[in-house]
Amino acid sequence: MTSPGDAAPVKPPPSFSPGVPRVASKTRYPNQRRDSSPSLDADLTESRVVSPPPPLPATTSELPIRSASPRTPSFRSSTPQLARSSLGSPVDGRFEGSEEIRSLIIRSFSPVVGVYASADTDELARQKGFAGGFWQLIRPFGENIPGKLVIRDSVGASRSWEDYGVRFVDLGNNNQGLPESGGRNSPLAHLEEVLEKQLGSLDDPLGGSLFPKDFLGFPSTSPLYKLYLRQLLSIASAAPHETFRHPVASVIAISSRNTAPLETLRRLYADTNNGNKKMPDWIHPEYLRYYLLVHDEDRDDITESTKLYDQMKRHFGLHCHLLRLRSNQCVVTDDDSVQVPECEWLSPSERLFGRTEPLVDLDTGGLPHVFESDVMAIKAFVRELVAQSVVPYMENRVAVWNDQVASRRRGISGRFMSMSRRWAGFGSGSRSSLTSGGASGNYDIAHGYYRYDTPEAVLRKMADFAFMLRDWKLSASTYELLRSDYANDKAWKYHAGAYEMSAVSMLLSPSSLGTKVKIDGIDQILETATYSYLTRCSDAPNALRCLTLAMELLKSRGGSAVESAARWAMRVMDQGLVGSIGQGLFSERISACFAARNPAPGVNWGSRRRKAGMWSVFAADLWLRLGKPSLASAALEEAERLYADVLHGDGAFTMPEMQTFVDNLRHAVKVEYLEARGLDLRDETATAAALGTDETSEQLDRRKNRKSLIVKPLDSGIGPTQGMRDNDNAADDDFERA
Amino acid sequence: MAQPPPRHATVLSLSNSNSNSNLSNASTAIDRPHSSQTHMPTPSTSSTGLRVPSNRKTIYDRHLNRSRNAELSRASFAFLFAEMVTYAQRRVTGIQDLERRLNEQGYPLGLRLLDLLFYRTVSGSTSSSLSSSSSTSASPPNRPLRILPLLHLIHGPLWRLLFNRPADALEHSVSPETPNEYMITDNDPLVNTYISVPKEMSMLNCAAFVAGMIEGVCDGCGFEAKVTAHNQPTEMWPSRTIFLLRFGESVMEREKVLERAGVK
Amino acid sequence: MSYYFTILSPTDVPLFNIAFGTSKSGGDGIARFRFPDTAQYMNQFIIHSSLDIVEEAQWMNGNMYLKHIDTYPPASAYISAFLTPSGARFLLLHQPPQLPNTGSATGAGGGGGSSGSILGGSFSASALGSSRASASSIAANPTSPQTEEAVRQFMTEVYENYVKTVMSPFYRQGMEIRSAVFRSRVTAAGRKWL
Repeated sequence: MTSPGDAAPVKPPPSFSPGVPRVASKTRYPNQRRDSSPSLDADLTESRVVSPPPPLPATTSELPIRSASPRTPSFRSSTPQLARSSLGSPVDGRFEGSEEIRSLIIRSFSPVVGVYASADTDELARQKGFAGGFWQLIRPFGENIPGKLVIRDSVGASRSWEDYGVRFVDLGNNNQGLPESGGRNSPLAHLEEVLEKQLGSLDDPLGGSLFPKDFLGFPSTSPLYKLYLRQLLSIASAAPHETFRHPVASVIAISSRNTAPLETLRRLYADTNNGNKKMPDWIHPEYLRYYLLVHDEDRDDITESTKLYDQMKRHFGLHCHLLRLRSNQCVVTDDDSVQVPECEWLSPSERLFGRTEPLVDLDTGGLPHVFESDVMAIKAFVRELVAQSVVPYMENRVAVWNDQVASRRRGISGRFMSMSRRWAGFGSGSRSSLTSGGASGNYDIAHGYYRYDTPEAVLRKMADFAFMLRDWKLSASTYELLRSDYANDKAWKYHAGAYEMSAVSMLLSPSSLGTKVKIDGIDQILETATYSYLTRCSDAPNALRCLTLAMELLKSRGGSAVESAARWAMRVMDQGLVGSIGQGLFSERISACFAARNPAPGVNWGSRRRKAGMWSVFAADLWLRLGKPSLASAALEEAERLYADVLHGDGAFTMPEMQTFVDNLRHAVKVEYLEARGLDLRDETATAAALGTDETSEQLDRRKNRKSLIVKPLDSGIGPTQGMRDNDNAADDDFERA
Repeated sequence: MAQPPPRHATVLSLSNSNSNSNLSNASTAIDRPHSSQTHMPTPSTSSTGLRVPSNRKTIYDRHLNRSRNAELSRASFAFLFAEMVTYAQRRVTGIQDLERRLNEQGYPLGLRLLDLLFYRTVSGSTSSSLSSSSSTSASPPNRPLRILPLLHLIHGPLWRLLFNRPADALEHSVSPETPNEYMITDNDPLVNTYISVPKEMSMLNCAAFVAGMIEGVCDGCGFEAKVTAHNQPTEMWPSRTIFLLRFGESVMEREKVLERAGVK
Repeated sequence: MSYYFTILSPTDVPLFNIAFGTSKSGGDGIARFRFPDTAQYMNQFIIHSSLDIVEEAQWMNGNMYLKHIDTYPPASAYISAFLTPSGARFLLLHQPPQLPNTGSATGAGGGGGSSGSILGGSFSASALGSSRASASSIAANPTSPQTEEAVRQFMTEVYENYVKTVMSPFYRQGMEIRSAVFRSRVTAAGRKWL
């Protein structure tokens, strides 16, 4: 690893040098770049954990690479390696651009599978080095089911998915991930804190960072933003108004050490059914139970376990599995040791307080290791669980509910029923039913939820199931069905949720909705959802989630939808839903939205380059205010790249005040950047030396040059036609003489 | 961004006034000779040094339509245009160079005529002063977006403004290789009426000046084009002139896009 | 209502700028933008960014007056455009007066207060949010037909003066318009219509 001391000359990132042709900077640093890249790689894994001071040469030489060729995709090649760096997410680099974000969003709505393990099973896991018990051991493996998974939709068409996953939550110890006691004061504050921490760990102490080089990863997304998005989508905990976090299934696990296996299984089942682990009234109690026998390969006899497993199958049916694990702890030096993947979906508070966070365990070098055979076994188990039990179960439920509840509501009689329901109040003349607006009475106003067995709740569950099975057409139509019911009952949170998900389903469903009308319709739906969330329920996290989802999905639609996307992002900033870092991220996101709009083929209009550039400049300004000059410089570069196509000449703005602002911003970023690196800018000579003299002089030259270009059009009025002027003057002289 | 007009600032103020007189002679006339030559309240002088005429009237106080029907003597036009040709002929290397100069003299005129033309159509149709507009919603003319409307604009209104009659023909190149070529024919261009070209310069056509104006109009509207004037004499019309318009690549590309988009 | 009017050459060079406020309903004709006085560059940024839309609308619509074409929601800035046949762009930015902090941040998470960011003064009333609030005062509604008509009248009057300027033999295409008379004419037009 390179220590900061080695890095004698501090070069400013190229955005500091106004208008320096980017090609030039490419040639300026070639040797450093070569030198530093290995050290960069070496640092990455560690930087996650202990955040060493970022190696100076690495940063500085990375920057010019990025900007070397602004319009060619060549610098994209640097992103995969870097994307991994800052977050180490297992999925980064699997998708490109908007597909990646889309997949992220889809995967965030994965079915939840509860894990309820007997004490002996947890003990086994602890022996292996997982303090959180069995749940912690299998958790990371649920997030990504290996191989393709085929799902049938409501009309019987099959589609296979490669990125399916489930989320394991712990039903055992502390009920984590399930009904929150409302102790989390503000998830959004946590979210901001996580970002702060992430930025701090990579940005300090020198102000330079490993980060900005990813930021230009056009057209892919900045890892900081991806972290943000993943965190935002992990906030949600089980709530009455949506069932995404209600368990779809539950794994009941015992180990081969158990002395009374069948009794334990029965007891565990009873616990989840009506014991102390019973779900609240708004969670449907009928979910799939899956029985798991964990066999200890190191201590117990497999024949015994097989016998027990056969017994289990007889008693509990097909939803059983025998998982063979070794109970010895695995250390890094073991031959077949494999590092457990990092959990992708940690909620902000988990990340902050590290309750179950494997990352803080410094002794084991971050993540614990397990034997490769264990990994294989767990993967096979998870795949079988999902492919043969969870998904078929969900498909089946959707079909049943669709038949029993939804189709009745959809048909003529259903509509009539809902009508008569609405007007029933007048007939009876009862005051109370009038005040509830002809409500069905299913809504428990005092507690604010529908019981799990009311049609409204079942329909919502069915829609959510369809959504998680990625049958967005069905889910969209079901949410639509629900919207008016919730409105009648004044169940505002349900109302908002139904609107939100109906918009999201529409945006996800592959049927084309390029037309302006449909986008307008979705805008309306989103408007309603936001209003219900914010004004009626004061639920900022959900409102933020709703708008962020909307923005991302609209953006991925492309075309005119990106403008809608940008507008919603502005709305987020406007409503103050995000903190100061969020403001910066969203500014960049708005810029990305506009940049995603390509010009119409063959003509020079249709793009939104100026808008994109403008928002990048704003983002730079925001980052600078936050004291993140390196992020600011990256944003400035992005702005330069975006403006390149629309500015004439050497990239000077024709509008003087804009130019002044951007010049000042550049200068301020440069000053802060260098100051953060401990250089005193007031001493001009020192600066010049630090910058390298040649560069400084070039800078000055360029500036003069640019100014002359700005002034000229204003003074002489010949801006665009300078070429002709000589001609003209010649003619003039001629005439004078004549 | 819009097409940067290749050469906006070619011709000087003085050549402008020359060309003005020429136009006035065509008995359609612009008021500019009166206003601009008598008063000098111009942007090029700094605002402090503005010389306000003694009657306190600047060009901004004059109505643009006042002189639309004024007439000037054809003789003075002929004289002025002759002077322009003489002027342009100085230090030129050949016929092509001379034509280029004439073209450049016409170009800025075209740009200005465009604005004036639209202004007059707007205010003319409401038949009252624009500023006092009784908010009659006589729809103003459309800017030409496609090539054909542009050509019609040149062939009709522009020619009428300049010469008090429409041009004589408008044709599209029949050759499939040059779909970007259009021709406007004037059987008897006014500018050539009093000019007989010497034999050794038989290729010269002084209507290059008018071609320059057409080019200015095209460029102003965002249609990058090269316009040239060619002699095509017939028995009946010895000075028949064809203006050849060659539109640029980008214009043709856009034309296709707009056609698909259904823009007229 | 505050206005920022600018004339851009076909190559985006500003030929003329003026900022003024409304003179209707008791206005004193002084511009009060939502940005702090030090952030007047915001007007130029917004105008400049709206050129993306102008260039598109320019070829879809042959009218000279293109009406309201763009909005910058964070500052409730509305842009109307007028194109001269010869390619100059008249752009008018209009901004309703700042409403007293109405429906801004509702219980946002930590540090949600956006501070006086550059993005638009106090950033409180969005276009979407404030449209509801400002709908009551018709004079301040930037997208009403009345406003459109008033802007059209204003633009047409400026156009007349612009043609006169362009006709001057001392004016060349792409030259900044510095005539004091022209400026006073535009001011008068603003007072008359806006």
